[in-house]
Amino acid sequence: MSSVKRKRPLFNRYMANRALPYIVLSIIGVLFLLPLLWLVLASFDANATLLLKLPEQATLENYTATITSADNQRSFVNGLILALGQALLVVVTAGLASYPLSRYQLRYKKMFMYIILFATGLPITAVMVPVYQFFLYFKIQNSLFFTILFLAASALPYSIWMMKNFMDSVPVELEEAAWVDGASIWTTLRLVITPLMLPGIFTVGIYAFSGSWGNFLVPFILLQSPEKLPAAVTIYQYFGQNGIVQYGKLAAFSILYTMPAVVLYIIGQRFMSQGFSFGGANKG
Amino acid sequence: MGDTNNRSSKRKRNGNRSEQWRAALFLSPTWVLLLLFFFIPGALTFYLAFTNMALTGAAAANTEFVGFQNFTYMFQDETFRISVWNTIVFLIFSAVVGQQVLGFLIAFLMNGRNQTFRSIIGSIVISGWVAPEVVTAFVWFAFLNDTGTVNAIIESIGFKPITWLYTFPMVAVIIANIWRGTAFSMMVFQTALSDVPKEVEEAAMIDGASPWQRLVRITIPMIMSSVVTNMVLITLQTLGSFTLIFALTGGGPGNSTETLPLYMYHQAFVNYQLGYGTAISLILLLIGIIASLLYMKLLKVKL
Amino acid sequence: MTIRKTVLAGSLAAVTLFAAACSNNTGSSNAGTSGENGNGSSAGATKTITVAYGKWNETDNWGKWLTSVKEEFENANPGVKVELNAIEGSQYATKIPLLMMDEKTAPEVLAEDSFMINADSEAGYLEPLAVDTWDDWSNFNEGIKAAVTGTDGKIYGVPFSTDVRGLYYNKVLFEQAGLPVPWEPKTWDDILTASRTIKAQLPDVIPFWMNSSKAGQEATTMQTLQMLLYGTDDTMFEDGKWVTESPGLLSSLEFINTIYSEGMGPKLSQVMTAQAGQILETDLMPNNKVAIALNGNWLTGNWAPTGGKPWPEALDVYGFAKMPTQNGQGQGFTSMSGGWTLSVGAKSAEKELGFKFIQLATSKEHNKEFAMLDGALTPRTDVAADTEYTGQPGTLYGVAAEFITYTHVRPTNSDYPAVSTAVQEMVEKVASASLKPEAAMKDYAKSVERKVGAEKVMAK
Repeated sequence: MSSVKRKRPLFNRYMANRALPYIVLSIIGVLFLLPLLWLVLASFDANATLLLKLPEQATLENYTATITSADNQRSFVNGLILALGQALLVVVTAGLASYPLSRYQLRYKKMFMYIILFATGLPITAVMVPVYQFFLYFKIQNSLFFTILFLAASALPYSIWMMKNFMDSVPVELEEAAWVDGASIWTTLRLVITPLMLPGIFTVGIYAFSGSWGNFLVPFILLQSPEKLPAAVTIYQYFGQNGIVQYGKLAAFSILYTMPAVVLYIIGQRFMSQGFSFGGANKG
Repeated sequence: MGDTNNRSSKRKRNGNRSEQWRAALFLSPTWVLLLLFFFIPGALTFYLAFTNMALTGAAAANTEFVGFQNFTYMFQDETFRISVWNTIVFLIFSAVVGQQVLGFLIAFLMNGRNQTFRSIIGSIVISGWVAPEVVTAFVWFAFLNDTGTVNAIIESIGFKPITWLYTFPMVAVIIANIWRGTAFSMMVFQTALSDVPKEVEEAAMIDGASPWQRLVRITIPMIMSSVVTNMVLITLQTLGSFTLIFALTGGGPGNSTETLPLYMYHQAFVNYQLGYGTAISLILLLIGIIASLLYMKLLKVKL
Repeated sequence: MTIRKTVLAGSLAAVTLFAAACSNNTGSSNAGTSGENGNGSSAGATKTITVAYGKWNETDNWGKWLTSVKEEFENANPGVKVELNAIEGSQYATKIPLLMMDEKTAPEVLAEDSFMINADSEAGYLEPLAVDTWDDWSNFNEGIKAAVTGTDGKIYGVPFSTDVRGLYYNKVLFEQAGLPVPWEPKTWDDILTASRTIKAQLPDVIPFWMNSSKAGQEATTMQTLQMLLYGTDDTMFEDGKWVTESPGLLSSLEFINTIYSEGMGPKLSQVMTAQAGQILETDLMPNNKVAIALNGNWLTGNWAPTGGKPWPEALDVYGFAKMPTQNGQGQGFTSMSGGWTLSVGAKSAEKELGFKFIQLATSKEHNKEFAMLDGALTPRTDVAADTEYTGQPGTLYGVAAEFITYTHVRPTNSDYPAVSTAVQEMVEKVASASLKPEAAMKDYAKSVERKVGAEKVMAK
């Protein structure tokens, strides 16, 4: 086994085996990076085309023009109102719901979780016509507030599902200790559970935020006034018929539009891994 | 998902009235939101799908119940058949095969590699997932354009450029969706693979199993539940996918990338046939329901 | 057992509370608007009217015109505020019915493509206008008035533009290819022959451009299919029925098929996008990359000094030829005319003010302002006789007068918009070679039958 003669070729093969994954991954990485690289370079290019190239004339003009436009500012604010409002609502609602679902023995729990799980599968945003009719009937269309409620409802089933699983992994003993010390349920929730639930809160919040931040169809159909439209809809001004497409500006808008999602992802990154653990799913 | 073993350690509190009250209180916002904005519109689909409701014309003023007319038409409608087929192709190649296989490959190859290298590759892949769908569409519109980067590369090695978005539109939307969604599968598999005990693999190695045998006989069976969950989740996400295709090809040229959600949109909001659009939604909903039931069955969920 | 009831009761209570919150919310917002409106009669307070229009390009000529009307209207009517709602052009057709269908969002004034008038008036979205009490109405072209009259005989819009369509041809390219200038095609074959010559002589040039996609919307129906179809022995709509299968329709599709299958059309990547028209007008044509383009007289608006692509020599380079009928039959030539109107939203609050705004916007002064800005043909007889207007350089007003004698208008039927989208699908299928002309026509027939009912379609 330790013969010197055999060791040499083995060592080379071992090297090759070690190098192969790095080579394959690097190729995949480059393939994933190239389209994105174009976006970044084009956003700094005064004469951006559709071709990946270094800007001959590097400029910040695309960014300043995008940022200083009052219409763009408004659409970003609208987008933030929609996405943050919805994320907040989802986190609070799903958080509240997950507590009894995780901690109590409830007679209707099983039915409830089935409904939730079932609802996770429905492509609710594809059912825009009935939603629109519903909004029209109650005269709640063209309202940021009710659009937030709808977006929240459509993200809720999956969020509750995730949140309950996070709640299950928070040990119950800590709460019991708090109760022994005479803390109320609200105090316990606020001071004991919430800090331990941060991974869940971030995961669900980011899931909800990115869902509505990127959603075009829902605000496009439910909101009518131009001053209420979010960035996801107004980005089409660059796609549409407005003259020769200004790729540099569109790229700058795209990068700015991607930023909030990136920032949230970076903040929540260290918590996220738990959100992708489905290994125990069928142990249930 | 998660740890439910501590259930046994919980105090039995069945019958504690204040807790039942509290549970009702905590669950009430959920009920209200789901009922009003999820189940009622969902139920409304079943009604509107049987009407001739329209966005303009006389039918807009007087909506009538038309029985199964929308459905009899639908099943004769060539475009409907095409869009069902497109939906299946898009689903299988972009999600079930594309994202899943590539996501697994990346996660598997990354397992146990240099930490810095992992995080660089990981971040690149994830950036495609973090970007909003419209941006993804724009990036790929540029990349695959007649005058875009891919064609510049093709031309530089002496071939004729390809009008991807028109000659192979389905390939284009599938590639874009793989680019966008692979990160999700990758993260799921990374977590799953990190839970596979090292000892099992090492034992197999000592027994003389080839890397391929180890992968097929040990690793994959051990993460099977993650594979199933992931597959169902991305299937459901992809089924309702709208923005990416809408922004990239608009369902065209012709009907070549028209999936069910886009067909619904075109019929309802461009052709002004709200009733027919809803009938298409209903089919979409039914597919979602079947997928959901399959999900629950496959995972053998016990609650 | 009581638990379920408790939960139910709890949820119900919450629903009620929530519903109360909703109605409060809408209640207060209604109160807000009606308060504003109610106070309008008393001095100093304001009423607001909304004007919805399509922003078609960066130049936004409609916006310029409406802004100038808005300023004058606000000065003349103290206490009235005009809000301009500019809607992205490619989304206009979807957004405008969504706006009009509800009291909460219906605009007082909206720009309406005249082909929508019947559908939207039957849907109850448009208010009939009291033109009998408006002296200025007699200054509008009688023929165009027909297009804004609903099936009930009432007037639903005041036209502010009309148009004609024909063949732009590039004289420079024609001379290079050895083709005659001026070019006067007599049949479709003359067009195909010229296109083939261009293709052979000048391979880098697009021989023949026409709108051919769903993204092109109404332009595809009107500038392409109807310009062909109305030059055959068939039409789209006869005796109250849609003609969904006819030899003329098939010939029209075969013409489109010939152009694309022989590589004489634009690349699909150029023509299938929503910005196809813009690329044509501001890039391809000014750069001599298109030999023939089937399009409307208003393209000159882009090339005016105020346009998106000022190009003083435009009409030295491009001639505007009449579109021949298929084999030179009938009058020998054909054209299509449409146009836009300003209408009042039936569900809006300030309908009278809305009509007042329209009267000002379509007055002689403002219509002339608009027509000269946009390169549109005026529907007003007094503006049409104005020498400043007719003498404006770089326009086709003179030629257009002749074209109008051959022109057709679109079927005035409330199903037209739905049928038109089916036409666009049919043309796109043929242009993109998804279907052969015959199969595309069959699909079209089925689709129209579904939309309008079997009793309203016929085959010839």
